[in-house]
Amino acid sequence: MPIPLLETHDLVKDYVVGGEVVHALNGVSVKIERGEFVAIMGTSGSGKSTFMNMVGCLDVPTQGSLAIDGIDTRTLESDELAEIRNKKIGFVFQQFNLLNRTTALDNVAVPLIYAGFGVTARRERARAKLEAMGLGNRLDHTPAKLSGGQQQRVAIARALVTDPLMLLADEPTGALDTQTSEDIMGIFQQLNDDGITVVIVTHETDIAQYAARQILFRDGKVVDDRPSQHRKRAAAS
Amino acid sequence: MNKVARIFSSWGVNIAIAMTALRTNLMRSILTTLGVMIGVLAVILAVAVGEGAKSSVVDSINSLGSNMAIIFPQPENNGGRATIDRGRLTMRDANAIVRTVPAVVEVAPQLRSTLQIIVSGRRASTPGIGATPAYGKVANIGVDAGRFITESDVRTAARVIVLGPSVATKLFGTFEPLGQMVRVNRVPFTVVGILETKGSSFGQDNDDLALVPISTARQRFATSTVQGPDDLHVLFVGFEDGEDLANGKKAIVRLLRQRYQVRKGEINPFTVRTTEEFMKETGKVTQIFQILLVSIASISLLVGGIGIMNIMLVSVTERTREIGLRMALGAKRSDIRNQFLVEAAVLCVIGGIIGLGCAAMLSGVIENAAGLKAPIGIGITIFAIAFSATIGLLFGGYPAVRASRLSPIEALRSE
Repeated sequence: MPIPLLETHDLVKDYVVGGEVVHALNGVSVKIERGEFVAIMGTSGSGKSTFMNMVGCLDVPTQGSLAIDGIDTRTLESDELAEIRNKKIGFVFQQFNLLNRTTALDNVAVPLIYAGFGVTARRERARAKLEAMGLGNRLDHTPAKLSGGQQQRVAIARALVTDPLMLLADEPTGALDTQTSEDIMGIFQQLNDDGITVVIVTHETDIAQYAARQILFRDGKVVDDRPSQHRKRAAAS
Repeated sequence: MNKVARIFSSWGVNIAIAMTALRTNLMRSILTTLGVMIGVLAVILAVAVGEGAKSSVVDSINSLGSNMAIIFPQPENNGGRATIDRGRLTMRDANAIVRTVPAVVEVAPQLRSTLQIIVSGRRASTPGIGATPAYGKVANIGVDAGRFITESDVRTAARVIVLGPSVATKLFGTFEPLGQMVRVNRVPFTVVGILETKGSSFGQDNDDLALVPISTARQRFATSTVQGPDDLHVLFVGFEDGEDLANGKKAIVRLLRQRYQVRKGEINPFTVRTTEEFMKETGKVTQIFQILLVSIASISLLVGGIGIMNIMLVSVTERTREIGLRMALGAKRSDIRNQFLVEAAVLCVIGGIIGLGCAAMLSGVIENAAGLKAPIGIGITIFAIAFSATIGLLFGGYPAVRASRLSPIEALRSE
């Protein structure tokens, strides 16, 4: 049996807010296989973002276990977590999180700096990913000169540049209009078809319809986990 | 990929990131750099002035004649006990030294007294030296015009005088002094020579002196401090080049103690100093002077460094989100730390280089205005740049470590 890409067992995350303990995650056990396209759903405060942060190794759980690609993350040092974020996970954010005053090319190349690539290899790879995103003619544009959709595509190129196992997208369409949102979801579907695992966090049900599987969070727990009923396919762009 | 290449490449990236960040807040960067610049400027000037002082001391001692001993008839180390009984030093001692101490080339016996020189209403008061022709060789001084004191001047106790350039200018201005009559302590003398210039050291004019034949000085200007017909005020002893002066001094001391029948345990009734010792002592003094100067200047560099730390803390706070993003994209703690260290170091090195440039300009001004040499050599240049980079790493260290310790998710969430 292949190792699941992601497996959590009784994951618990507590925050102390104003002297009170808040259970942001309260015993979450989820398994995601390679090649899946999963939407993490839930209202604000449901724990979906906290789950995302755990899975992305940006935060450490209070209790429970989390294995990525078979690696138990509980015992890892901060440098080893950084390496997992760098090599195995590609992040896409709602607000794109590109560096201002930095060209698209250099933005995409940032993860490669931390992966230890030399300057030529960095530019080579970043250019290839941007061209794959249809931004070959925007390499030297700074984020301010790009539309929202273009910025998010730069961000996706950046997430892909280290050839990670999994894309983690936190409300990737939250700052985009409907048409652009569909384009972006189409890109995710295309990438998923090519074999990469995609996990998106969203509160919009119609965006979740692009995923093959939907996991619903409420009050820090998984309350529903099923395949999408009427999965949408974005028009090929 | 090999580790060394990785380190170099990541430092290159960090410098690029730093330059972007510094350009983003240009005004702030300039003001912060200014603080470091002033600090580096102060330190460099302090070092340079100290170096200049040191080298001018060495120069002026070398101009004395680099390999000689000076003998005074005063007891050595009279601290603690008053010495009323003056020692004596005579021509006979001088001759004995030449005869018996090996490696002695020449002795220059001298009588000294202040001379009042008057010519057509102008008057100069100057240290006078009653000398022999040997003085020129031992003290390493020649004439610029005319001639030096000669053997025949000494034999005949001629009323001739050789003036230092400063004295000549004071008395004659632009007029030609050679061959002119001057009154020295009311006695008429003929000016036969002008000494070459020796400049000044430590604000003391080395050209303010006049030479007369030692025999003339003994007849005309000898004071009560001279007790016998061949007593001397000072004796210069010139050694062969390369002679160990410490040995030479030992030999002279042994000889003179024998001649004055000084018993074991009694102090010497004379003092022997070598140029080597002068150099060491003045070296010590100038070193203290330099340390003092540099420590005062360092305070301004400290203030500049605190400015760096302050601005780096602001920078870290402002860019918390960027730090979070970089961590999410795979930056290790050390990557973040290095990024901010490099930023601080770049700020400081820029400040250091500008400070160095300003110091180079000011050193010229100081040299012209105050007559103090302040050379800025390659050593100081490297020191300045390395020093300012160190300041950057030192004061940038705390903000950088603080940045590297941020939690990725909290940093990413911050606005």
